[in-house]
Amino acid sequence: MTALLDVRNLGIGYRTSRGDAKAVDGISFAIEPGEYLGLVGESGCGKSTIAKTLLGILPDNASISGSVIFDGTELLGLREAKFRAIRWTGISLVPQSAMNGLDPVYTVGHQIREAIESHRQMLPAERDRRIEELFALVGLPKVRLKDYPHQFSGGMRQRAMIAMSMVLDPALIVADEPTTGLDVIVQDQIMRRMREIHERLGKSMLLITHDMALVSENCDKIAVMYAGRVMEYGGERVFREPHHPYTMGLCAAFPDFDDRRRELISIPGAPPDLLKPPSGCRFHQRCPFATAQCATQEPPAVEIAPGHVAACHYLDRAEEFRARAKDPRTWRAPQAA
Amino acid sequence: MGGFRDYFVRRLLLLAFVIWCILTIMFALFQLLPGDPTMLFIDSNFSQDMIDRQKALWGLSDPLWLRYVRYLWNMVTFDFGRSFFQSEPVSDIIGDKIENTCLMIVPALFISVVIGTLIGAVAGWRRGSTFEHATVGVSLILHSVPSFFVGILALMIFSYQLRWLPPGGMVSLGGVEGFWPIVTSRDYWMHLLLPGLVLVSREITGPILLLRSSMLDVKGSDFLDILRAKGLPERDIIAHATRNALLPLVTYIAVMTGLLFQGQVLLETIFAWPGVGRELVQSLSDLDYPVAQAALYVMALAALACNFIADLLYGLIDPRVTYA
Amino acid sequence: MTDLPRASARVGHVWPRRVVAGARAAIERGWQSMKIFRRYPSALAGLVLVAIIVVAACLAPLIAPYGPFEVVRGASGGVVRLSPPAAMNWMGTTNQGMDVFSQLIWGSRIALMVGLLSALGSVLLGTIVGLVAGYFGGWTDEVLMRATDVAFGIPFLPFAMVVISIASPSLTLVIALVIFFLWRTTARVIRAQVLSLKTRPFIWAAKAAGAGNFSILFRHIAPNVLPLSFLYIAIGVQAGVMLEAALSFLGFGDVHALSWGRMLNDAFRAGAMRTAWWWVLPPGLALSIFVMSIFVISRAYEEILNPRLRSM
Repeated sequence: MTALLDVRNLGIGYRTSRGDAKAVDGISFAIEPGEYLGLVGESGCGKSTIAKTLLGILPDNASISGSVIFDGTELLGLREAKFRAIRWTGISLVPQSAMNGLDPVYTVGHQIREAIESHRQMLPAERDRRIEELFALVGLPKVRLKDYPHQFSGGMRQRAMIAMSMVLDPALIVADEPTTGLDVIVQDQIMRRMREIHERLGKSMLLITHDMALVSENCDKIAVMYAGRVMEYGGERVFREPHHPYTMGLCAAFPDFDDRRRELISIPGAPPDLLKPPSGCRFHQRCPFATAQCATQEPPAVEIAPGHVAACHYLDRAEEFRARAKDPRTWRAPQAA
Repeated sequence: MGGFRDYFVRRLLLLAFVIWCILTIMFALFQLLPGDPTMLFIDSNFSQDMIDRQKALWGLSDPLWLRYVRYLWNMVTFDFGRSFFQSEPVSDIIGDKIENTCLMIVPALFISVVIGTLIGAVAGWRRGSTFEHATVGVSLILHSVPSFFVGILALMIFSYQLRWLPPGGMVSLGGVEGFWPIVTSRDYWMHLLLPGLVLVSREITGPILLLRSSMLDVKGSDFLDILRAKGLPERDIIAHATRNALLPLVTYIAVMTGLLFQGQVLLETIFAWPGVGRELVQSLSDLDYPVAQAALYVMALAALACNFIADLLYGLIDPRVTYA
Repeated sequence: MTDLPRASARVGHVWPRRVVAGARAAIERGWQSMKIFRRYPSALAGLVLVAIIVVAACLAPLIAPYGPFEVVRGASGGVVRLSPPAAMNWMGTTNQGMDVFSQLIWGSRIALMVGLLSALGSVLLGTIVGLVAGYFGGWTDEVLMRATDVAFGIPFLPFAMVVISIASPSLTLVIALVIFFLWRTTARVIRAQVLSLKTRPFIWAAKAAGAGNFSILFRHIAPNVLPLSFLYIAIGVQAGVMLEAALSFLGFGDVHALSWGRMLNDAFRAGAMRTAWWWVLPPGLALSIFVMSIFVISRAYEEILNPRLRSM
């Protein structure tokens, strides 16, 4: 099966007054049709940038390299007119819940209609029916279409955004931190709806989040990002048998229903400065198993099993690391290899 | 819209209160003067009959409070009595002059707002471009140059030296009269050109700078990214942004109109335009107090009414505004 | 318990010292802003021009060849009327034979005086009203704000003209009227600033520490609105000069004061606009340059002030 979305060696840099910051530095992943990929990483590791790149809405001071092929078309360097044709019809976006993604002076209904009208000619009756259908899908009463964005609660707004993202039946839906900032009950509702959309309608989805638990609950595949690089990438096996220390850390940092007594760990330190990324393995400064080699040599991405890739020098000791990673004491004293 | 109705009533009451205060101040002014207050309203040249009529009209022999109440009533019903020098009742005179002032203000205001908005919106959208820098620079200069000097300069150059345009007045002597004939006459437009341009050059800076800064604010909004992600053409995105940027403009226009009315005094004097402002100057130098008082009142009223409308309009246009 | 009386005595000593320290801090901040002027070349140009005008005003008796109303007589003893710029009269003479250049210099005095006095007066009044209304809120605020509403409703020029007609024209009256007109803007802005400051943590920290209202007002809030007041002084000078010029131009100015507006009035009345450009241009240009210079300075100052205000 040819992938619906094939990202190869994507690099995105921002020209800032202090130099070039590489938000994304050589990322590769793929999404097959009907697949649900979760892209996980800490804040500030470049995840949102990827969402913007897929929709082609990066600011002008960004420089992009690599290749992003969507449904056979290379998106990077694509002419604006052609990109516009793909936007929303092929790929759509559910933005961060913190964002004010809707124009405050137009009704929600108007903005959804607008999305349709920019691409398709539909009879008004047909168009309205579609919108109402989608609102029903996300559980919003259709009378709310006449309301303005500020009259919606955060959760309702996100559901409206989900409805809007589906309006042209895109093949891929990118959700960028769709539930961050919402309370857990609303979070759950929204993720459930998205899962429904994925399962019932067979949509491919890209979930960008920092919440490992969300990804483990919803996604088929996961890509773990750190400092602009992919550390580990694969299917469900990544959760059951993480091979990269960072993934292990993330798994141990989120509560596990089956092992409620386990004490949660937190990975000490902070994400590195993207203007001057660390040498060697980007994670070595915070990795409890790092050695001198990690500081100087960048680990290659190795395929451990079909479809499961990780970039670490000590993949053979993964099982040992996994056991130690579950112990909070390992993380309190890094560099204890 | 219950909230709005309450707000409306509250603002209306406030407006009434302010008008009352101003009227009282004006009344007190005239009363505080040394000397016989009756002399203000009666010219010694008047016949006894006229003196009696004026006295009756202004109730000058009545006690103070009665005069005050009658004065308030007259002002509210726009009954300004008779002019000392012109044969018509003051309200007719003032009505005429208001019309003339509008004939200058309205076209200038329209052009300033429409063109100023477009320029400002584009300048704000294209931040950092030469167009934006030039626009801001020129606007700032125009904004701070005293407009009456510009008016004098314009008259000197275009009217006296080059003789391209008439040197003042609204229409040539012996020309057409009446609202529609004037508005459709070339004569009027020729006369309007110079003062109108001076007025526009001063007023256009407001919408330009306002729209530009408003647009800059809007440009940072998140929803613009989503609009682009939705695949909308650039044209539609600018329309969305402008619609957001317009909000402050609405109140500004209302306030601007109010200010214009009083700023007319200078330009009308320079260009000998027969409007309310010039009427005020003339009546004061003629000591024609009924006319002067009426002119002042009308100008204050215009400013207040415009502010009142501004207050109301903003709430209607921005869907986010609620009236607690 | 012997501590208590001493504590209150200490407060009595400390209070004026703190005010001085606060004022000194404000002045220092102002001084630092001055250094930043180098970033804004236009403001520097404005500053230079204003300085020239100030110097001209101060040295008027020394620089101006003639008095403001002194009549120039030619070699033959006749009055030199309406003569274009010549060696004797750099900017020519008026229709009454007065030297335009001298009038221009003398006029700068009036401009500065009116500008400064009306600006200072209106800002003082406006700041106090704004501080009190913003800080105390409640009825005080309501009453003061209604007063500003009324003040805003009165159109300045027409009102001033009427008042001057009824009383008699004098420079003092003009300055008083300008103050009456200008204070309302300052009051509103200062009040808004006070309202936003009132909610800042350092204010309720002071209250928690037991500071009284006036102490808070003068030690904490006032120094933080002072920079804003300075800005409005600059704006006030522009407005004051322009308003006086407008009034004089319309013939409502002080007959004894020779301001630039008065010069324009004389020229206008004499019908000299058609021919005597040397009479009309200098006062008009002087007004424009003065106002624009101050405007440019105040804009630079405002830009410096804004990030500081926002970050406060």
